[in-house]
Amino acid sequence: MSKIEIRNLTVDYTEKKNRFTALKDVSFSIEDGEFVSVIGSSGCGKSTLLSILEGINTPTAGEILINGEPIHGTGTDRGVVFQHYSLFPWMTARKNVAFGIKQVNKEASRTERLKIADEFLEKVGLESFKNKYPSQLSGGMQQRVAIARALAMDTDILLMDEPFGAIDAKNRTILQELLLELWEGDGTSARKTVVFVTHDIDEAILLSDKIVMMTANPGQVYREIEVPFDRPRNRAELVQTKEYNQFRNKLLAMFYSDIVSKIGGDEVVL
Amino acid sequence: MTIKKRYFRVVHALFIVLLLIQLLPDKLKGETYAQYVIWFVVGVEALTLLVSSFIKKPVGLNLFTDIVSFIYGLLIAWTLATAKFNLLKPALFPPPGKVFWRMIGDYETIITNIFSSVGIILRGYLLALVIAIPLGLFLGWSARLGSAATYISKFLGAIPPIVYIPYGIALLPTFRSVSVFVIFLATFWPVLAGTMSGVMNVDKKTIDSAKVLNVGKFTMLFSVILPASLQQIFIGCNQGLTVSFVLLTSAEMIGAQSGLGYYIKNYSDFGDYTRTLVGLIVIGIVIVAISFAFNKIQKYLLRWKH
Repeated sequence: MSKIEIRNLTVDYTEKKNRFTALKDVSFSIEDGEFVSVIGSSGCGKSTLLSILEGINTPTAGEILINGEPIHGTGTDRGVVFQHYSLFPWMTARKNVAFGIKQVNKEASRTERLKIADEFLEKVGLESFKNKYPSQLSGGMQQRVAIARALAMDTDILLMDEPFGAIDAKNRTILQELLLELWEGDGTSARKTVVFVTHDIDEAILLSDKIVMMTANPGQVYREIEVPFDRPRNRAELVQTKEYNQFRNKLLAMFYSDIVSKIGGDEVVL
Repeated sequence: MTIKKRYFRVVHALFIVLLLIQLLPDKLKGETYAQYVIWFVVGVEALTLLVSSFIKKPVGLNLFTDIVSFIYGLLIAWTLATAKFNLLKPALFPPPGKVFWRMIGDYETIITNIFSSVGIILRGYLLALVIAIPLGLFLGWSARLGSAATYISKFLGAIPPIVYIPYGIALLPTFRSVSVFVIFLATFWPVLAGTMSGVMNVDKKTIDSAKVLNVGKFTMLFSVILPASLQQIFIGCNQGLTVSFVLLTSAEMIGAQSGLGYYIKNYSDFGDYTRTLVGLIVIGIVIVAISFAFNKIQKYLLRWKH
């Protein structure tokens, strides 16, 4: 049994009498402990797909099973990191993390929650910023806090919606490596199942076990590609290998062939 | 700050002018109590110099000296128009010294009245907050009731609270509770409206990030929606505070035998405008003090915004 099974998911929006299909008959499955990236150009429905997984959106047809059970709304089995506004601006970094812990672990005392929060803030390198409010932190730091909260909540599944999409290139690299390190762990504990939405091919290759490529109008799964590189991965070493570059070019070709076929022209030269 | 920035200010020039004016011969017949004005401004000037020496931020000192300059300017104009040139009717416009003299003479009554008024305002105001904020959160959050409640509260809020006074007298046990009731009504509607509009305007992304944390209904309302709409709630609270000051006099006219509003009303009815002015000045100071405390609380609770 797969950890997550997405079955024939269809989402229609009606806007000013126009029907718009955001997702059409999307099906794929994700194994326990697998890191899956969903990639595609804007408008391919990848964020819509994730919002249904999160439980804040409902599909027009189809269903999602987690551990074989269909989901209804949000659940404590899933932790979420958005691109923006994951944190509550009126809580300090520490309180934000502790608040997340409280929602999944009602038994823990306030002191215990704060202790766990401190532990995870240290893991993301923010121990000296724990009493700052989100408005006092940079975008990258805010995402670190959001990741710390999602990890501290210790859910089986982690859903990330372009978490590094608004971060500058240098910090994005650092955050990708941090996420990779935290997720791969030291091999002693089970890895979490991650669904990671992105439009950055390099990010998807570095992080994922499997990449689900989507196309737009309507949003459909175009290909599922296994990423053949061993873990733990090291970006600096990986990007220098011939295999990496061949794989990357293959993916880019797929990514653009889809766009070319959509706009239907041989005239388009890439 | 440099010595020049600290002490070389217009306010001190005004102080000297104000003192020199006191030396002019009085045109007004009768006692003008100029010594009270002198004592008062010397006290204020001493305080200004003290603040100038210890304050750290130039912005704070500017604010303080600007206010003191305004007071000096007002006293200069007031002294000249009354005691020195006798341009205004003395019965309506007593010289400033006489007002200060009365203020000191009446200080026990004034203190009692301050406590009485502040008691009425705080009771009515806090009661309104305790009821209107949770109710506003609940109504604003309810997709269905929210829009109906907006119109209903607009309708009820447009009725001046003094209209309810006869009903209050008929239903409530004491006259004092009717006064509290008037303040309560004056504050209730703006706070309710502010809370509801705050809740309805909370960013959907904030609500989504709370939803994905699987928060319960109570946590959603009081730990997420409440802080997220706090700024709007404060706008309502501010409006309510302003209205309750305006209505204080009307509220205290209902059979109350104390309070600043009563003090003013009572003495103006008897044509004692010196005491009326005393009351006006004291009520102004009380309003400024309450607003100051209110702003401090607001700044503290919204400290995460900056």
